[in-house]
Amino acid sequence: MISLSNINKEYKLDHDVVFHALKNITLTIKEGEFVAIVGPSGSGKSTLMHIIGLLDEPSSGTISFGNQQISKVTDDTLSTLRSEIVGFVFQQFNLINKLTILENILLPTVYARKKLDFNPEEKAHYLIKRFGLEGKERSYPNKISGGQQQRVAIARALIMNPKFILADEPTGNLDTKTGKEIIKLLTELNQQEKITIVLVTHDPTIALLARRTIKIRDGEIV
Amino acid sequence: MNYILFAIRSALADFARNKGRTLLTSLGILIGVLAVVLLTAFGLGLKRYIGNQFESLGANLMIIMPGKKETMMRGGGLMGGIKFDEKDATKLARIKNITHLAPMFAKSAANISANGKTEIIDVIASNEEVSAVMNLEIEEGRLLEKRDIQKGAKVLVIASTYAKKFYPTVSEALGKSLDIEGQSFKIIGITKSKGGGGMGGDVDANVYVPFKSTVVFNPEKKYFAIYFKVDNKENIPAVTEEVKKILGKRYDKDAFSVMEQTELMNSISSIFNIVNTVLIAIAAISLVVGGIGIMNIMYVTVTERIKEIGIRRALGARKNDILLLFLVEAIILSVLGGLLGLLLSYAIVLLIQPLFPAYIDISAVILALGVSSLIGIVFGVFPAKKAADLSPIDAIRYE
Ligand SMILES: Nc1ncnc2c1ncn2[C@@H]1O[C@H](COP(=O)(O)OP(=O)(O)O)[C@@H](O)[C@H]1O
Ligand SMILES: [Mg+2]
Repeated sequence: MISLSNINKEYKLDHDVVFHALKNITLTIKEGEFVAIVGPSGSGKSTLMHIIGLLDEPSSGTISFGNQQISKVTDDTLSTLRSEIVGFVFQQFNLINKLTILENILLPTVYARKKLDFNPEEKAHYLIKRFGLEGKERSYPNKISGGQQQRVAIARALIMNPKFILADEPTGNLDTKTGKEIIKLLTELNQQEKITIVLVTHDPTIALLARRTIKIRDGEIV
Repeated sequence: MNYILFAIRSALADFARNKGRTLLTSLGILIGVLAVVLLTAFGLGLKRYIGNQFESLGANLMIIMPGKKETMMRGGGLMGGIKFDEKDATKLARIKNITHLAPMFAKSAANISANGKTEIIDVIASNEEVSAVMNLEIEEGRLLEKRDIQKGAKVLVIASTYAKKFYPTVSEALGKSLDIEGQSFKIIGITKSKGGGGMGGDVDANVYVPFKSTVVFNPEKKYFAIYFKVDNKENIPAVTEEVKKILGKRYDKDAFSVMEQTELMNSISSIFNIVNTVLIAIAAISLVVGGIGIMNIMYVTVTERIKEIGIRRALGARKNDILLLFLVEAIILSVLGGLLGLLLSYAIVLLIQPLFPAYIDISAVILALGVSSLIGIVFGVFPAKKAADLSPIDAIRYE
């Protein structure tokens, strides 16, 4: 479903120093897969994730979703693809603190361009119930625990029925027990609902839960 | 459309969280709109006031003044130049279609006192025709008559509003004396008030005396202007030519001008219009300053919300969605200031209306709201564009 071929990412540090953050990455992720991307800190995992999620552009190489090749597309098209295909889950949750839990979960539907084939409110309430967040609808993110915040983030990632979820160290800011719960939740989503999940982690024990592991070091797949 | 409503709601929610900042930011626009609307209201009031004053003088009134007409129109020329005398008046009075002719000498801003009170009033020294020329109507006593003029009697006619400033009632004032710069005059007539505003400069603020009674103030026995009435509007051009011909024999044709009072009124109001426009333009600068205040705070807001912008972009927001979000905020801030400014000016105008006929017309309202939303757009678009153009990845990683 997702294929990357010969992806490179370079950062210009000074006018003549170039940092090669990703080197010739080629990989394919199939529909319904649960893939873990592991590697030490600074190895380029997040950079890769952002490129897969169309938040960042590679310096060279191509990305395709199904038969659709993403190259030379406008910023608006990228936004639309992010809206319709990807659901992000971040290490720092990245909820908007001035919006309530319910508003945060509904936010992606505000930016939807296509006509939704579901009722956003109903779906949000369903997700809130499913993730054990009842009663928190009108609370603000900084008033709930980290584990709850990450569940809100997952609900937000799911509301648009994305093709896949990109989770970048979703347990990084959580204690071990809560982290395990979040991973369990993602595993369930993958098994019960066949949602494709790409999980970035530097924790090998978490990576063991995935069916496939892609190891990355110094910007290269090893 | 839905998204605009969403943007408005989030802007209002943000303002509710930052009430103090919102009010202070709107204050700049509030002051600008207040200044522009109030000055417009005063300008309109002044114009109406001048119009009323001239109207009370009646139709077909002509004025001969020293100076070139073009200079007069620009407001100069009232001082200096030639002065007219008895010979001119006599010759002009013979023109067939002139019904009344009053040569005038004026002692402006004279100290008038009686009964222990002092007022500053213009003294007009003229002949018995002055009552017809100035449309004076008697309320008590009598108008100036030919015999008063011939004798140069120390008598005067005053408007009832001013008579009452010295004496409790009109009838008590009649026959009493008034002191004009140390000269004692007897009140022989009290005229009906022509009304007008409560501020100085109205047609009631004159006392009329026989010409010869003021020789002390006017040793040369000259007139500063000659007022006359023409029997019929159609005869005005012919009479004007005749007057020019007669005076042209003695004076240079550029040394004096013959004007219809409507012309004079137009020239005076055009001067006020210019002054008012300049004042409004100056006030408009404060609107621009208010706009810069909004731009400033919007830049701060954008910087504070970089991460939020990144999150929204990751969730599918387009550049234009972000642009609109911030533009709507800037416009609301600006329109809020505009509305408050308008309300405050309305309250002020209501308060001063008993003293001065200022009024706010619909064009001022439209202008104030139109200009303030325009300012929101113009000054909001730069910060909003900055927000929209942030790279999503840099924004979301911003700490
Ligand atoms: N915007 C950037 N400019 C320069 N270097 C960057 C930038 N973003 C990331 N890097 C560098 O790229 C490397 C990979 O970063 P990242 O993908 O965040 O690693 P990981 O997520 O595996 O910890 C790091 O060495 C990081 O310093
Ligand atoms: Mg990382």
